[in-house]
Amino acid sequence: MMQTVTLKIDGTPVRATKGSSVLDAALECGICIPHLCHVPSLKDTGACRICIVENVRNGGSSVTASCALTAQEGMVIRTNTEKIQKLRRNIAELLVAQAPNSKAVQDVAVRCGVKEVRYPFRNDNCIQCGRCVRYCTEMWHANALGFVGRGKNRRVEFPFATRPDFCKNCGSCTLYCPMSVTPCGGPMKRGEESLCGKCESQTVMTPGMIGACVRCDLGKGFQCTRHGL
Amino acid sequence: MPKLNHCSDLEALRQKLQEDRKCIQSTIIIPNGTCCQASNSPAVINAIRKELARQGMDKNVQVHLTGCHGFCEQEPMILFEPGNLIYCHVTPEDAKEIVARTVKNGDIIERLLYTDPVSGKKFRTETEIPFYQAQDRQLLAYNKWVDPCSIEDYIAVGGYKALVKTLTGIAPKTVIEEIKSSGLRGRGGGGFPTGRKWAEARSVPEDEKYVVCNADEGDPGAYMDRCVLESNPHLVIEGMMIGAWAVGARQGYIYVRNEYPLAVQHARLAVKKARELGLLGENILGSPFSFDVDVARGGGAFVCGESTALMTSLEGKVGEPRPKDIHTVKEGLWNKPTVLNNVETWANVPSIIVNGSGWFASKGTRGSKGTKIFALTGQVKNTGLVEIAMGTTLHDIIFKIGGGPKNGKAIKAVQTGGPSGGCLPVSKFKIPVDFDTLYETGSMMGSGGMVVMDEGTCMVDVAKYFLKFLQDESCGKCVPCRLGVDRMLEIVTDITEGRGSSEQISLLQELAETVAEASLCGLGKTASNPVLSTMKYFADEYAAHVEEKRCPAGVCKELIHYDILAEKCTGCGVCLRSCPYDAIKGEKKKVHAIEAQVCLKCGICVTECKYDAIAVG
Amino acid sequence: MSMTTIDPILEGRRSQPSQLIEVLQDVQEICGYIPQDAMKTVAKELGVPLMEVYRVVNFYKAFTLKPRGKNVFTICTGTACHVRGSDLLIDQVKGQLKVEPGDTTKDGLFTVECVNCLGACDLAPIVVQNGSYQAHMTPAKLRKIIEKTRGTKKKKEALNA
Repeated sequence: MMQTVTLKIDGTPVRATKGSSVLDAALECGICIPHLCHVPSLKDTGACRICIVENVRNGGSSVTASCALTAQEGMVIRTNTEKIQKLRRNIAELLVAQAPNSKAVQDVAVRCGVKEVRYPFRNDNCIQCGRCVRYCTEMWHANALGFVGRGKNRRVEFPFATRPDFCKNCGSCTLYCPMSVTPCGGPMKRGEESLCGKCESQTVMTPGMIGACVRCDLGKGFQCTRHGL
Repeated sequence: MPKLNHCSDLEALRQKLQEDRKCIQSTIIIPNGTCCQASNSPAVINAIRKELARQGMDKNVQVHLTGCHGFCEQEPMILFEPGNLIYCHVTPEDAKEIVARTVKNGDIIERLLYTDPVSGKKFRTETEIPFYQAQDRQLLAYNKWVDPCSIEDYIAVGGYKALVKTLTGIAPKTVIEEIKSSGLRGRGGGGFPTGRKWAEARSVPEDEKYVVCNADEGDPGAYMDRCVLESNPHLVIEGMMIGAWAVGARQGYIYVRNEYPLAVQHARLAVKKARELGLLGENILGSPFSFDVDVARGGGAFVCGESTALMTSLEGKVGEPRPKDIHTVKEGLWNKPTVLNNVETWANVPSIIVNGSGWFASKGTRGSKGTKIFALTGQVKNTGLVEIAMGTTLHDIIFKIGGGPKNGKAIKAVQTGGPSGGCLPVSKFKIPVDFDTLYETGSMMGSGGMVVMDEGTCMVDVAKYFLKFLQDESCGKCVPCRLGVDRMLEIVTDITEGRGSSEQISLLQELAETVAEASLCGLGKTASNPVLSTMKYFADEYAAHVEEKRCPAGVCKELIHYDILAEKCTGCGVCLRSCPYDAIKGEKKKVHAIEAQVCLKCGICVTECKYDAIAVG
Repeated sequence: MSMTTIDPILEGRRSQPSQLIEVLQDVQEICGYIPQDAMKTVAKELGVPLMEVYRVVNFYKAFTLKPRGKNVFTICTGTACHVRGSDLLIDQVKGQLKVEPGDTTKDGLFTVECVNCLGACDLAPIVVQNGSYQAHMTPAKLRKIIEKTRGTKKKKEALNA
């Protein structure tokens, strides 16, 4: 019999499999915590920080990535406080300012409430979510892709920047890349920070409904785990 | 030397070494650490040795090489014991006179005495020097008597006494209680209660445990750990042994940053000598305790000072931190319970065991016990390593010990805690140096770096400097740090180059708070401190840059221009020749001029002009 | 890199992935950089994926992918050195040698690097010239050192001509 733990997410008691992450526990019962670098069946690294939540304990709370937080008995988690909303919005704003020419990144930005982008737009073609690296390493065991360099110079690369002969040509790296689908309106522009309206990803969110997953079409662009359910 | 098989063997050896040392009539102590060597101490040492041999005095006068004493600007230094006479800025050419006059006849050479930069007075002995007087040198005092390459020296001054006391009668749980009662808190920056960390590690039901020494002192401007590890490696090893005994570890690692080659060398030699004597290995001194240490080098990454990144690096991988909701005391190195402590933390352990927790706790404040070593640098007269009791005020450190401003410009701020810390203005100098007080004021103790800044330092430029540093050193894994620090730097650069706006100031504040809250590891979480503290305490400087496009300190290149003053210029041409960009034109003996479009305001001409003829405005 | 050079480095460390950084440091010391084939050999002998070796070499500042010049000048850019004008020293080398920090001059004579604090802050600003620490450096002193080093080469060339 599978061991479970009970924790509270946004006031709702949730039963989760022992050892699962808070993010998985939430998604299981329809509480949508926005996420970007999380992919089911691959290790979570806590890199994008979109899935942050407040872990309430010892009279205070700490902000932590729910994908990297193991669900424990008695945990009290808040996924949508004003503080979290603001942080998430700011993080998404940083992402879309960095790589505006991706439907997935634009969708996540709007989902997280980005109404204006206050930084000069750049046109990066990688947000370093690590999905390609993890598919290559954990799923296919090819080890042909990896994060190379540090800080600003960090990038995804083949060894010696050349596709090695041990690359298995599985195509996962491009299939699961959030950058592979461009929005039909092109890169997001300053003053036009909203969804184009032409794509299927119309927002169907109701701001009043806290925590409920709306199984929005927003997630289509980046294979959100809840999409299509 | 034969292996020591029992605690009594060690005590017997100690007695013998102390007896032998009593026969030495006079000793010439010459510090020979990294900075001493950078000041040419090896040449002085050779000259002294040669001269002693030439005068046939090398048999009864001992030349004792030690590590760094921490008063680096006076190097090369020589101490004469007994008598405690001290000579500063010694050159190899002085050797003949020193041997002939001081060593032979006890004559004092006045010009080599230490001159206090504040009073102008000369001092003969080390203990009289004001820089040392105001300190409480518990750890640093050893450095004078110990040759880092000699385990015998360490044993002779009482080394490994704490180990014997522990192995012969203090149970692991009791050791932990002692450390808890002492109030020792981590000296690396976190300030986490050491006893509590050890207790948590002990409680994990796991056979394989590790103790690690974090000697990856990456904070620029901090070199306390270099000094302690380089000058007294056995003190650190002894501390680790007691910790290992307490938590149940059998293997330890000293992780030293790559940029400290001498510290690596001395640590490795110390481990080798301890193994030879049987102080590391199986059944140490006949007890059931077995423990060994390996020294590992870092690869050159500031982020590897963070505990999870350090452990990942020890495992031979890229030093990327991981989320820490499961603490490293439970799952650390190779997912085993690991106690990671800073060099200075480990170094404090032996004296707590020997003198008792009450002795340690009798110094300091309610929340911060004992002494702490600080690296006092920047625009003060006396720079060097300073060890003081917690609770000493910033004012006393900067003015009483530091001697006040160096270049005649008023002191404006002090930066503590390295890139994770903040800048505090003069109005805050009366606060006691204490973990919690510094944190509440908007800075932090960090590992102990203390950089003093004067009117010639632009605080916005300081924020830019630290952001550049963090951008360079960020591992790049998480979005808030990788993109957030980059954008903070973009905004601050705009401000320093005259493109700043008031909207950017509020955006900078909000962004800084986001990075601090949402980053994955300590580097990102504290990355905003330099920005937030300078915005809080030096808002007027930010305002001048944004509203008036002016840099009050005359530092930000885009906001200043260089002019040659016609009334002072002699046409000597030194500036023309020294300009790397050919921006200065002029004929011999005629007033020169700087071409504003070409001038990159590097400031080299200002430093070279002997007539103060170049104005920065 | 030949097997004869790398064999002693790998001695006692084969199949031990945790030794990767130590091994690479020895390679860097002996070769002056990390050659591609050395990375491939190390990967194989230690049992570490090539991607990981490549990642480690690119992550840590101690390792360089290209050979360094004959004279390596390392400028410390720690806080104490910065406050005492290390920026001027960087300007000086950029102006004199026409290279950015991290690069080598075309003639292979000079490599300029920056390091984030050497821990000798009282002697700021510091420049390490081929492993030897030069304290209290000024732009003028640095210019003279560069000219002297260049001059020696020119003299040698003239003698050999």
